[in-house]
Amino acid sequence: MESLLTIALALLLAPLFPGIILKVKAAFAGKKGPPLFIKYYTLSKLLRKGSVYSTSTTFVFKLGPIVSCAGAMMILLFFPLGGMSPILCFHGDVIVLFYILGLGRFFTIAAALDTASPFQGMGAAREAFFGTLAEASIFAILILFYRMTGALSFAEYFTGATPISLAGPAGALLLLVIVSLFMVLLIENSRVPVDDPATHLELTMIHEVMILDHSGPDLALIELGSFYKLLFYSAFIFLIVCPLKATWGLANVPLFFGGICLVYVAIGLVESGMARLKMNLVPKFVLTSLILVFFAAILTMEFVK
Amino acid sequence: MNTFLVALAIIVVGGLLPLATYRNMAIAKGLYLGTTLFGCIFGLISLFSASANLHGLTWAWSWLHCFTLVFSCDSLSFFFLIPIFLICPLAAIYGFAYFDKTENSLRTAISFFCTNMLIVAMALVTVAANILSFALVWEMMSLSSYILVMYDYEKPETRTAGYLYFLFAQAGALLIFAAFGVAYSQTGELEFSKLALLPAEVKLIVFFLAFLGFGSKAGVFPLHVWLPHAHPAAPSHISAIMSGVMIKMGIYGILRMYAALATSDLRIGEAVLVFGMISGVLGVLYALGTHNLKKLLAYHSVENIGIILMGAGLGMIGVAKGNVTMAGFGFAGCLLHVLNHSIFKSLLFFGAGAVIKKAGTSHVDHLGGLMKRMPITGRTFLVGSVSISGLPPFNGFVSEFLVYFAAFQGLKYTHSTLLLAILAIISLAAIGGLASFCFTKVVGIVFLGEPRSQHAAEAREGGRLLTLPMTILAALCLAIGIFPQSFMDLAFAGLADMVRIGRVDAAIVESIGINLALASRLFLLIFVVVLTFRRLLYRNKVITKGPTWGCGFTQGTTRIQYTGSSFARSVVNFFRPFVIVRESKVLLEKIFPGKTEYFTRIEDIADIAMHRGLATPLLVLLGKFRWIQHGNVQLYIGYIIIAISVLLLASFF
Repeated sequence: MESLLTIALALLLAPLFPGIILKVKAAFAGKKGPPLFIKYYTLSKLLRKGSVYSTSTTFVFKLGPIVSCAGAMMILLFFPLGGMSPILCFHGDVIVLFYILGLGRFFTIAAALDTASPFQGMGAAREAFFGTLAEASIFAILILFYRMTGALSFAEYFTGATPISLAGPAGALLLLVIVSLFMVLLIENSRVPVDDPATHLELTMIHEVMILDHSGPDLALIELGSFYKLLFYSAFIFLIVCPLKATWGLANVPLFFGGICLVYVAIGLVESGMARLKMNLVPKFVLTSLILVFFAAILTMEFVK
Repeated sequence: MNTFLVALAIIVVGGLLPLATYRNMAIAKGLYLGTTLFGCIFGLISLFSASANLHGLTWAWSWLHCFTLVFSCDSLSFFFLIPIFLICPLAAIYGFAYFDKTENSLRTAISFFCTNMLIVAMALVTVAANILSFALVWEMMSLSSYILVMYDYEKPETRTAGYLYFLFAQAGALLIFAAFGVAYSQTGELEFSKLALLPAEVKLIVFFLAFLGFGSKAGVFPLHVWLPHAHPAAPSHISAIMSGVMIKMGIYGILRMYAALATSDLRIGEAVLVFGMISGVLGVLYALGTHNLKKLLAYHSVENIGIILMGAGLGMIGVAKGNVTMAGFGFAGCLLHVLNHSIFKSLLFFGAGAVIKKAGTSHVDHLGGLMKRMPITGRTFLVGSVSISGLPPFNGFVSEFLVYFAAFQGLKYTHSTLLLAILAIISLAAIGGLASFCFTKVVGIVFLGEPRSQHAAEAREGGRLLTLPMTILAALCLAIGIFPQSFMDLAFAGLADMVRIGRVDAAIVESIGINLALASRLFLLIFVVVLTFRRLLYRNKVITKGPTWGCGFTQGTTRIQYTGSSFARSVVNFFRPFVIVRESKVLLEKIFPGKTEYFTRIEDIADIAMHRGLATPLLVLLGKFRWIQHGNVQLYIGYIIIAISVLLLASFF
C-alpha cells in the first residue's frame, strides 16, 4: 500500500523537480527564473495541442515517444522508491530494466532517423554513441553491486539483507560509484557537460535535436518519459548516499522526495558552473565514469570477501 | 522404420525431383517445395512425437565392408535438429519466390538439390556418433554449401567468395580430422564416446585442434574471414540457412567435442570465453562500419557466434569450478541463443534479400524510405532488428539474459575467473549497445526517411510467398520473448546429456522463466496503456501533415539525410586501432569548388593479418621450392619411388 502511494506520488511529482534545476540556474545567473510548476504548464499546453507530422515519417515516428515513456514508467515500478520494497522485483530485474531503457533509446533514435532531417540524424548518431558507452559504466556498477551484495535487483540493493550503504564495510568504494553514477545521470538525461537542451543551435544539441519534429501529446510523452528517467537516476543516487530504512514507515516519503530535490539542486549547480564539453571530449567523460567503477570493482577483490 | 530417417529420405527425394523435371520449371519448383516442406515438417514431428522418441536411438551401417557408420541421437543432437527443421522449410518457401527467373532452370534445379543435400547433411552431422560418419557428413555439408555459394558463378566476387569459403572449410576440416587422428592414435576407437578415455594433455590438444576447425566453420574471429564474403555472394535464402543454421554446426562440433572429451579443464573454458568476447565485440564493430546490407548481417553472425561462445565458455568455466548454476545457465544461454539467432538472422536475411531484389542495390546508403513501400518486409525487419539487438520483449534478450546470469555467477570467484567474468559482462553490455546502434542504422537508413536513390523510390513489396516466412519468423521472435519458459526448458533439456556435474535447480530455472515472462508482458501492458492514453489524447485533435522542419533549409534534397557512413563514423573512429578505416575524399577547396566526394571503407584486421602474416610469407617460402615442380612426369614418378623406398627402409629400423 505504502509503495503504491509512493509510486503514485513519484509519477505525479516527477515534472516538479526539473523546475528546481531551472530555479537553481536562474539564481546563479541572478534572475528570478520560471515558476516551479513550469513543467506542468508545458505538459498541459502540449497535451491540449494537435500535431504536425512530417510526410517523411511512418508509424515508427509515433512509436518512439510511447516506447520511451513506457520504459521509463516500468523502471519506477521496480525501484524501491523511498526505501520501501517496490511493487515488483526479482533476481535480475536490473538487467531487464536497463535493457528496457535501451529499447526506448532504440526507438527514439529510429524515430529521429525517420524524419529524414540531417540534424536529427546527427543527434541520433551522438545519442547512440554516448548511450552505448554509458551502458558499459552501468553494467560495471551492477558488477560492483553484485560483488558487494550478491544481488541483481534494485529491491535487494536497498532493502535486502545487506543493503548498500555508505556506512558499510565497502562504503569508500561507493564514493566512486556515486561520482560515476552522477556522470551517467548527466549523460543519460542529456544534461549540461554532455548536452545542452537550451542551446540556440541545433548542431550542438544531442537529445533535443532528435525530438525537434515531435509536437503535441507526442512531445508531452517524451518529456514525461525523460522526467521519469531523471527521477529514477536521482533516486538511485540518493538511496546510495542515504539509505532509507523501511521501518521508518511513512516518514520515508518526505525524506525521500526531499533528498531527491538535493540531487536536482546538485544537477543545477553543475549546470551553472560548467559549460558544455566539446563533442570530441564527451567520450572521454563517459569513459571516466566507466574507469571509476571498474577501479572500484577491482578493489573489491581485496576488501569484500 | 524410424520417422526421422523417413523424413530425411523425403528431403533427399525432394532434392532429386527438380533435377529430373527441370525442363518445366513450374512443375519442378512445385514438386520441390511440396516434398521439402513435407519432409521438414515430418522431421519436426518426429522430433517432438513421443512415439518416435529419438532419444538414445542408434543406427549403424557397415560401409564398404570395413567401416561402420554409427548415428545416434542424444539431447544435444535433438536441440540442434530443431533450427534445421524449423528454418529450412521457410527458406524453401522463400527460395520458391526468390528464384523467379526461368532462364537458369538447370542451375536453379541444382541449387534446389544442393539445398536439400545440405539440410540432410546438417541433420546427419548432429546425429553422427563416430569419427568416420562425422567426417563423411561434414564434408558433404561443406561441399553442398560450397556449390550453393557459387550460384552466381559468373560474377568474379562470387568466385573469390567461393574460393575463400572452400579454403576455410577445407582447412577447418583438416584441423578437425587432425584432432580425430590424434584421438584415434591414442585410443584406437572410432566412437565419440571413447574420447573420454584420452589422457588429459592429449584432450587439450584434441580440443584446441577441433576448436580451430569448428571455429572456422562457425565464424569465430579471426577465422571468420570467409563469412563476410560468402554471405553476400550466396542467394538470400541460402545465406539465411548458412548463417542461421549451418554455422551453428561449428558450435555443435565444439560442444560435442567438449561433451565427449569429458574434460573439466579451466583453460578450455577461459579460452572459449575469450574467443567469444573478441568475436562478439569485433564482429559488431565491423558490422557498424560495413555498408553492404548482407555483408553487415554476416558480421552480425560473427557477433552472435561470439555471444554463443561466451555462453559456452561460461558454462565450461562453471563445470571446471563445479558450479552447477553457472554451467547450466551458460550452456542454456548458448543453446537458446543458437535457436534465437537462427530465427532472427534468417528473418533479417530474408528481409535483406527482398530489399536487394526489389531495390536492386545492397548498399545501405543508396536505400531509404522502404518502410512505406515494403510495409511487411519493413515491419518484420524491425522486429528482427530489435530481437538481434537483444532488447526485450523479444527473443534475443532471453538468451542474453541467461548468459548474463551465468557471467554474474562467475563474479563469486577470484583471479582470472573474476576478471574474465567482469570482462564478459562489460563486453556483453557493449555488444548489446553496439548492436542496437548498428540496427538503428540499418532500420533508420534503409527503411525510414526518404529514398536516396531512384531504385529505392521504385521498390515494391514482394509476393506473398516472399513475405510469409518473414511474418512467421517475426511472430516466433515475439512468442519466445513473451513465453520464454517453454523455450528455456527446451534449452535446459538439451543439456541433459551434456553437463555431467548435475542438473540446475529446477526452481531457479522456473522462477527466472516466470520473471522474464512477467517483465516482457508487463512492458507490453504498459505499452498498450500508454498507447491507448495517446489515442485518447489525440481524439478530436487537429492533425496536419507537412515537410520535416528543415532548420532554415528551403531547398533540401534527400541527399542531405544522414547516411550509414556518417551515422557510424564517430563510433568506428573511436575504436580506431581495431578497425582500419580507409577514406577517399575530395573536399571543398578553392573559391569555386568542384564536386566533392567522400567514401569510406573499413578493413578487417583479421583479413589483413591473415594476408600479411600468413598467406604472403607462406607464398614467399613455398616459392623457394618451386623448382621441385617443373612438369616432368618421369621425375615425379622418381620422387614417388624414392619416397616409398625411404619409408620402407625406415620401417626396418
